Amino acid sequence: MRGSLPPEPVRLLSLEEEARVFLRLRATLIWETVRTMLTGSRLRLSLVVLLSGLFWGALYGLFVEAFAFLDALHANVISLLFNAFFSSLMVMLVFSTGILLYGGMYRSPEARLLLTLPVRAETIYAHKFREAMWFASWGFILLGSPMLVAYGVVREAAWPYFALVLPFMLAFVMIPAALGGIACLVLVGWLPRLRLHAVSIAVGLACILALWLGWSLLTQSRADAMSAAWFERAFARLAITEQKVLPSWWLSSGLLEAGRTERNGQLSVSGTIEAVKFLALLIANAMVLQLAAGWLAGKAYRRGFSHLTGEVPARRRRRANWLDRLLTGGERAAGPLRLLLVKDLRLFRRDIAQWSQFLIFFGLLGLYFFNLRSFNYHNAYASMIGFLNLAVVGLILSTFTTRFIYPMISLEGRRFWILGLLPVHRDQIVWSKFLFSFLGGLIPCAGLVLLSDSMLGLPRSLIAMHEYCCLLLCLGLSGIAVGLGAMMPELRESSPSKISSGFGGTLCLVLSSLLIMVVVTVAALPTHLFLLARTLGPTVIAEDGLLAWAGGMWGTTLSLAVVSTAGLAACLIPLRLGLVAFRRLEV
Amino acid sequence: MIEFDHVTRTYGTKTAVSDLTLAIPRGELFALLGPNGAGKTTSIKMLVGLLHPSRGSIRICGHDVVADPRGAHLHVGYVPDEPCLYDKLTGREFLWFIADMFGMPRHLARERIDREIECFELGEFADDLAESYSLGMKQRLVFAASLLHDPSVLVLDEPMVGLDPRSVRIVKDLLAARAREGMTVFMSTHTLAMAEEMADRVGIMVRGRLRFLGTVMELREQVALESTSLEQLYLELTTARGEEP
Repeated sequence: MRGSLPPEPVRLLSLEEEARVFLRLRATLIWETVRTMLTGSRLRLSLVVLLSGLFWGALYGLFVEAFAFLDALHANVISLLFNAFFSSLMVMLVFSTGILLYGGMYRSPEARLLLTLPVRAETIYAHKFREAMWFASWGFILLGSPMLVAYGVVREAAWPYFALVLPFMLAFVMIPAALGGIACLVLVGWLPRLRLHAVSIAVGLACILALWLGWSLLTQSRADAMSAAWFERAFARLAITEQKVLPSWWLSSGLLEAGRTERNGQLSVSGTIEAVKFLALLIANAMVLQLAAGWLAGKAYRRGFSHLTGEVPARRRRRANWLDRLLTGGERAAGPLRLLLVKDLRLFRRDIAQWSQFLIFFGLLGLYFFNLRSFNYHNAYASMIGFLNLAVVGLILSTFTTRFIYPMISLEGRRFWILGLLPVHRDQIVWSKFLFSFLGGLIPCAGLVLLSDSMLGLPRSLIAMHEYCCLLLCLGLSGIAVGLGAMMPELRESSPSKISSGFGGTLCLVLSSLLIMVVVTVAALPTHLFLLARTLGPTVIAEDGLLAWAGGMWGTTLSLAVVSTAGLAACLIPLRLGLVAFRRLEV
Repeated sequence: MIEFDHVTRTYGTKTAVSDLTLAIPRGELFALLGPNGAGKTTSIKMLVGLLHPSRGSIRICGHDVVADPRGAHLHVGYVPDEPCLYDKLTGREFLWFIADMFGMPRHLARERIDREIECFELGEFADDLAESYSLGMKQRLVFAASLLHDPSVLVLDEPMVGLDPRSVRIVKDLLAARAREGMTVFMSTHTLAMAEEMADRVGIMVRGRLRFLGTVMELREQVALESTSLEQLYLELTTARGEEP
């Protein structure tokens, strides 16, 4: 039976018209986002631009040095390096785009709106695909562009190389992104119940492969680590990534051809033509995969959405676990502070986004620290690396305190009627957040610092100093996050990411970074000077000179006093201000 | 206008909607009632194409919502229970997006957008970003968007949530007027007074089955109670018979 004609002024759009409407939508959304940032978040925008520029510059410098070193070894090493880098990136892009598309296409309120409008499923897919591809690959652009520019500069490549870098990167990212999209559509459309198992198995296999490669590289030889021969052997293991059917090989080969010059340093025409052929190969494959994904979306998207919407969420009964019982003191009545602490701990445990990121970052850091023994460092390096590791632990903790602890008070806003009516002093709410952050940060951070220092074989005095600095960092970072969170709560906002990306969150991150910089630099200075004095010897360094004094007991004492003052001030001042502001807060 | 033909929807082993057959003609205002978990939202999600029936078919103006979703959606305006807007679009920009999606000519879209902005009293904040809207403001904007293309069928899921009494009055008057002009309204609600006041027919669902279909007057006759309010009739039907296995 044919349906009736639609009301006269309404009609179905052609594919091109639909694409134009979505492009207009995207352009308006981007423009409004930029306008809001320019008017409301100038500090954040400036910081993002500044830090991105610094990051890009630092990476560029690092890659220039690395390519100059590798170029001297063997030309093939760079080809291997490119292949290893791009192939691992390809795997990561497949997963990240697939996961982002899953969230955007099947779990977002926007998808529910779009699916009730007279628009093709493939157009919605294309709209969400562009978004997912951008979010998945901006890191690649930020990381890959300084590397590729540095390569061109070191090889003194001609202009076509630099002109082709961006088209190569864009054409390349579309291939793994489309593969991720196809995998997502197939899994949700035809295997909805197996999707989690399938993704878990694929991620597990990728991790096992990566760990095996990493482990075999780190354990093959410790005697000549970082030497030319070590690099040769290490990259020989990575030859597995040099498969001609892989888009990463097309990209690597295309870039190497584009960067090729004649013996006299002039532009290589044949190299450029080869590069353009590789680019055409990448573009052709990207387009075919896009077409396939679009066709698949037309067949599977609505069906997959219906599958997922009709899924019955598993009923999960939760009981208090041993930690809850320990904190509340078993059957005895616990005080409000402990009860609030247990509540926050429960919310943390049941929020996968929080604990999984916590686990991944600290787990990777632990894995790296565990492998430090594979390298043979001299004492001066070991001490320096120990302090750098302390800084890394602090920086990761600061991202967590900014992302998860800072918004905690704001997130109580919608539930404030519960807490506000309870016989609980407002100070206790703030203290509970502080304790949660401090204890939750101290345990893994102190463990990681101990692991790092033990692997580096540092003396006990230095380990004790690092642990003391770690304690101060946990106090300071928790104080900053909780204090600022209480001073600048956004009680109407329910999204923690939006809260942490506002002015207060940015200020929290900046102050946290400053604290880490001050604590680690001031604490490291006497040790560094002590080692310098010992290396240069008494003939060069006067025993009663400034350097000897700074690297000796007095210098260390002064440094500890400064570090303690900075850590305690960072903890107490924002916390005090936060407590006062929170007492006066009108909800 | 709307035809449910032996529609069943299961979630795993649970049957959310069982063998629902229902036809709602042009110009009728139909209210679907029932306790939580009765299958109202599932029926609405199937009607707007977000869920596919496990068995049976649904047609809107003759278009099967699974086989020809775009053809069906062209005739439908939908107001969900939770309004979804783009935070970084203004109310007016959102209305333009919807008008474009329905392929409306520019001059007509402008005219209709102005009409809906006036009708739902959106003028004061139509050019502000939606992220600054309250729930009621969002709901009014979604109403405006759903009526922009003068749909033949309007589907409403708990439409009055978040609306202030003045907005509720505006919506009620508007629905009655549009129904008189020939628009079919399919509404799920817990507000019995609204159903009693507005609906031409009501359907009462209990545990996925349509327990009653007819006018409020017919419901009174069927339950055969002295009671006069729809609330008492509803409780009688959903509690006493709802307990049956």
